[in-house]
Amino acid sequence: MKILVLAKQVPDTDKVKIDPVTGTMIREGLDVVINPLDLHALELALCLKESHQALVTVLSMGPMSTETVLRDTLALGADRAILLTDSAFAGSDTWATSYTLSEAVKRLNIDYDLVICGEKATDGETGQVGVEFAILLNIPVITYVSKFISLHDDSIVVERTTEDAYERWKIKLPALISVLRSVSEPRLATLSGKKQALSRKVEIYSAKDLGLKADELGLSGSPTRVVKVYNTKLSRNCRIYMGKDLNQGVREVVKLLKNYKGSVQR
Amino acid sequence: MNETIIKRLRSIVGYENVKTDYDEVERYSKDETSSVEPSLPSAVVFVTNAQQVSEVLKVANQHKIPVTPRGAGTGLSGGAIPTKGGIVLSLERMNHILELDLENMVVVVEPGVITDEIQKLAEEHGFFYAGDPASSESSSIGGNVAENAGGVKVLKYGPTAFHVLGLEVVLPTGEIVNFGGKMMKNVMGYDMIRLFIGSEGTLGIITKIILRLIPKPKYSAVLLTPFKDMETAISCVPKVLCESGILPTSIELMDRFSVEISSKFLNESIPQQDADCHLIFEIESLDRESLTRAYISLGEKLQQLGALEVYIADNRHQKMKIWKFRKAIAEGIIAFRPKHCMEDVSVPIKTIPKLIRSTYDIARKNHVEVLNFGHVGDGNVHVTFLKPETMSDELWKKAIHNCLIELYRVTADLNGTVSGEHGIGVKRKDYLDIFLTQVEIETMRKIKQALDPNNILNADKIFPDTSASVRQI
Repeated sequence: MKILVLAKQVPDTDKVKIDPVTGTMIREGLDVVINPLDLHALELALCLKESHQALVTVLSMGPMSTETVLRDTLALGADRAILLTDSAFAGSDTWATSYTLSEAVKRLNIDYDLVICGEKATDGETGQVGVEFAILLNIPVITYVSKFISLHDDSIVVERTTEDAYERWKIKLPALISVLRSVSEPRLATLSGKKQALSRKVEIYSAKDLGLKADELGLSGSPTRVVKVYNTKLSRNCRIYMGKDLNQGVREVVKLLKNYKGSVQR
Repeated sequence: MNETIIKRLRSIVGYENVKTDYDEVERYSKDETSSVEPSLPSAVVFVTNAQQVSEVLKVANQHKIPVTPRGAGTGLSGGAIPTKGGIVLSLERMNHILELDLENMVVVVEPGVITDEIQKLAEEHGFFYAGDPASSESSSIGGNVAENAGGVKVLKYGPTAFHVLGLEVVLPTGEIVNFGGKMMKNVMGYDMIRLFIGSEGTLGIITKIILRLIPKPKYSAVLLTPFKDMETAISCVPKVLCESGILPTSIELMDRFSVEISSKFLNESIPQQDADCHLIFEIESLDRESLTRAYISLGEKLQQLGALEVYIADNRHQKMKIWKFRKAIAEGIIAFRPKHCMEDVSVPIKTIPKLIRSTYDIARKNHVEVLNFGHVGDGNVHVTFLKPETMSDELWKKAIHNCLIELYRVTADLNGTVSGEHGIGVKRKDYLDIFLTQVEIETMRKIKQALDPNNILNADKIFPDTSASVRQI
C-alpha cells in the first residue's frame, strides 16, 4: 500500500491580508507552516501506515522555505518528502500547480494507490488542486471526505459530507480523496521524531530536473488570473430577548423549531 | 439607597447609566468565584471617564455609601461582589486604548479594555504585552492590575505589576492622582504604583494605565510531557529550572483529573491522556535553529528525569491547541463541577512536591475530591477541592472550611502565600491571619484608613470587617 499526500505551505496566520492593488496575498513577515487542513490528510495517511504498513510520501510545490515544512512531515512519520521548487513555478494558478504536481508523479515514477489531500489551503481557499491533479492522472476523486470507513485490497469505503447529507462511497484504487478536519486528529511530533527528521533528506527537484517546459509552468502556464479578492460578510438577523422578555424569547424559539422543516426541501 | 442619591448619580453619568432594576443589576451581584454567595447592589453606575468616577465617589463619601468597583467580573476571590450592597461602579465602558506609543514602547489604556485586545494591537506592531493571565480573553486590564494578575508567563516575565509603568487613580475621596509615567525607572518617593497594584479596589479606582511593551519573541515551542506519576513530574520542575540552563516562559501542570475535565469540556484529547499528569513547557527564541537546539536540550533533560514522552508543538496551531486545552480546565470545572473551591496558593518552587502531596491527604481526610493544575514553574498551584455528588451542602461547607485551614497551614509552613494571583477579596479574608501577624495586618489597615477614611471603597474585602462606619444599604 502506497499513499501520496499532497501538501502546501501557507503563511502562519488566520488573518490573510490581501494587497488591494495586485489582489495577491501579502506574505511578507509571516512564518510558514504546512496548511493546517493538510495535516488531517497526513494524519489519516499515518494511521493507515500504522494499521496497514503503508508507505507515506508527501509531495509539495513551493518556495525553498517549504523544505522546513516538509521536514516536519518527516518528523511526524512520513517516509519520504518531495519538494518541487523553481522560480519557473512562481505564480502558478490551480491548473499550473496541478499540472506540475501530476507531471512530477509521472516523471519521477512516484508510486501510489491512494492520494490524500486537505479540502483546500487556508490561503487560496480554492480547493481545486486535488481534483485537477486527479483528472490529470485519470483517477477517481471523492471530495469532502469526513470519515474514513475501511481499506480493502483494491478499494476504500469513505463517507463524505455535503450540505444536506452524508454519502457513503466505495471506490476502486488508485483514487484521490480530499478530506475534512473531522477525518482525523493530527498528532504532535515527538522529540525523537524531530531529532530523526533533522538528519533526513527532503528530495528537491527543479523544472529542469523534471524536464518541464517553462511556458507550461508558473505564471505563463496559468490560464486563470485572480482579478479581485474580497471578504464576504455574513449578516444575520438577530433578536435578543433578555430580562423580562426572556419567556417571550423562549416561546419564539419553540415556534421556530416547530416550524423548521430541515434544509432538505422535498 | 434613596431616590435623591439615585438622582444625583444620574445627573453625573446620565439617566440611562444608572441601573436599579433587578433584571439589570442581578448579574452584578456575583463574579466567577463559586464559593461566595451573590449579593445585590442597590445601583449599578456605568462611568466613562475619571471625572465621573471622581464625582460618584464624592457623593458616595458624603453619604457613606459602599462602592464596589468592577471590570469584566471575572475575578476569583469575590472582589467584585457588592457584599455590602450600595453602588457597583462598572468600568466596562472605559474600554478605549488611548495611545500606542511605539517609540517609547508603551501603550496607554483605560481599565475596561479586555486584555487580549491590548495583546492583539501590540502583536500587529511586532510587540508583546507580557502580562498574560489565563483569562485574557475575558478579563479586563483594570482588573488585572487591581488583582496583580499572574498567568502562564510569570515564570519568565513576572506578574502584571512588572509591566505597569504608570497609573491614574481616583482616590476614595474623589481626588484624581497620577503616579509614574512612560519611563522605566522612577524612585520619586514611595512606590505608589506598586501600592495600588493588587490593592483589589480598596485604595482607589484605576482609570488609566500605562503598560510596557517588549519586542515579541519570534519563535516559540510548546513541549507537552506526560508522566507516569505526579511525584516524578513535580520533582523534575526545580531540577529543570536549576540544571537545564533554559528559562522557560511557562511550566504548567495538569493532573489526570484536570485533563479529564478539560477534555470533556472541549471534546478534544491530548496524547497519553491516561498518564498521571502532564507538564507543559513553553520556550522562546530569536531564530528557528536556536529554538530547535533549546527544545532538544530541554526535551532530553525531561526524558532523563522520567517523562514518558516529549511531544513538541512548534507551529501556531498546535501551540494554540495545547494552550486552549490548559486554559479550559477552569471553565470545565465551572461547567461540570459547579460546587468547588479553587485555590491559589503559592510556595517556593523547591517545596511544590510537598504542597501537592499534602492536597491529596487533605482531600482524603475530609472526604472530598481534589484536582491540581497551575503554574508550577513559579510555585503557584490551583488546588481545587470538589464536592462529591453524594455529599450534602451542609457537610461540604464544613469539609471545605477544614480543607482550607489545613491547606493554608501547610502552605504557611512551606513559607508560601494564600494567594499568588487571585487575591484575598472576600473569599480568603478570614484566613489572612494564618499567614500574617496582627502587626502586619494592622500596617495594611492603616494604609487603607489613610486613603479611605470613611471606608467606602470595597470595604468588605481583604480585612475581616470591623468598621461600623459603612451602613448596610
